[in-house]
Amino acid sequence: MPEPMLRLQGINKRFGALEVLKGIDLDVARGEVICVLGPSGSGKSTLLRCVNLLEPPEQGEIFLEGQGICKGPDSGTGEQSWELDFVRQRVGMVFQQFNLFPHKTALENVTMAPEKVLGQAAAEASAKGTALLERVGLADKLGQYPQRLSGGQQQRVAIARALAMEPHVMLFDEVTSALDPELVKEVLDVMRELAEEGMTMIVVTHELGFAREVGDRVVFIDEGIIVEQGKPADVLDNPREERTKKFLGLVLER
Amino acid sequence: MGEFFNQYFDFDVMGAHFSEVLEGFLRNLLLFAVVVVLALSWGLILALMRQLPGRKLLPIRGLTIAYIDVLRAIPILIIILLISGGIPYLEFLPKEIRIPQWFGQPDPFWFGVLALTLVYGAYMAEVYRAGIEAVEPGQMEAARSLGMSHGQAMRHVVVPQAVTKIPAPMLNEMISLLKDTTLVSVIAYAESVLIGREILAERFNSSAIILAGAMFLVITLPAARLVDYLIRRNQGKVARGAHIEVG
Repeated sequence: MPEPMLRLQGINKRFGALEVLKGIDLDVARGEVICVLGPSGSGKSTLLRCVNLLEPPEQGEIFLEGQGICKGPDSGTGEQSWELDFVRQRVGMVFQQFNLFPHKTALENVTMAPEKVLGQAAAEASAKGTALLERVGLADKLGQYPQRLSGGQQQRVAIARALAMEPHVMLFDEVTSALDPELVKEVLDVMRELAEEGMTMIVVTHELGFAREVGDRVVFIDEGIIVEQGKPADVLDNPREERTKKFLGLVLER
Repeated sequence: MGEFFNQYFDFDVMGAHFSEVLEGFLRNLLLFAVVVVLALSWGLILALMRQLPGRKLLPIRGLTIAYIDVLRAIPILIIILLISGGIPYLEFLPKEIRIPQWFGQPDPFWFGVLALTLVYGAYMAEVYRAGIEAVEPGQMEAARSLGMSHGQAMRHVVVPQAVTKIPAPMLNEMISLLKDTTLVSVIAYAESVLIGREILAERFNSSAIILAGAMFLVITLPAARLVDYLIRRNQGKVARGAHIEVG
């Protein structure tokens, strides 16, 4: 078996007395699309934030392309370290609330990190950024400020912004949950294309249709542990665990 | 009643001493202009030191918080007296620092600059902090997730947004600073109030002090209106759900 893109071993994360992740083991193969389902408060988002060290885990080890990246609870918070550079330049993240920089145009949002972090020349970053925004269907919005864009457009800028760092893994944290229903599809379409191009993706989502169609594997998390995982059809249509059944029942009722 | 008016609103006295008082007021403005630049910079440095991340830098954060708290808790007058009374006796310092008379300004001016910068740096650091904390935490996270260091994220993402949220409270601090430049009269800086008091001693009439107060009003009243305008404009933007634009 080839080396996994990402390997999580015994990840524990607590916020004070609250234990959010209670020993997560997960291997993600290169090019695999993993959809993470689970009730709110189950630890899905925290898991993503552990992977890129926004919330460094208390215990456990994370291997990214074979490199151990966890250096204890201070991993992500302190001054810039080798691990942080290694992780943040290989792992892109897209957030539920977009988190675009409101004082920068769409194009500037995309070019800022390549210029400041990778040291790309302005012209090069701008050409690449323009191409990325074209790819997500926003060629006509380069000079717009985020507040003038719809939620779906903002989220597509955010995806382009993450892609500009040429990541090897993309993390999506409920990226359609804050969108009006009619705007969800345009974002999922971009993600689907990305998956087809072979990007390794971990997608926290409530979109069962997307998980079924695009996901290689579905992981169901509840109360900080992986309850069940497998092929989307198996987990979604024939869940073995009571907790999975109950959750899927609640989601499908909507 | 007439006696009161003669004592405080004698326009003949005001007219006779107008140019002296104005000269003093210009010294208030000069002191203000130098301090406002230094304090805005020092305040930002303090605010950034207070926001440094990680466990290793905890001592720097602690010292910064202690500095800001203590300097805001002591009357400015005492700081001014301590500095002007203390520094000349620090014999390990060169004479140019113990008795600074740079750019043709007397040493009370420079002691005033130092004291007011130290104190107003602390006040302004708190205003910057309010602005920094008003920026969505997701902004810092997004910047960090893109590989920026804490410093890069502060410089390119957080601070540019923070400063657009604080013009009104910062202007309030500046109004206070302009008024507090009169405190330096206590160490014989010949600003408007000191000159007013000299005229009082000479002519047994307080009108020159009132004249000095009127000169402050000319600047501070419109500034107070401007603060109100900025607050209302800001509230309007928030109510419309828009971000505040840097331009």
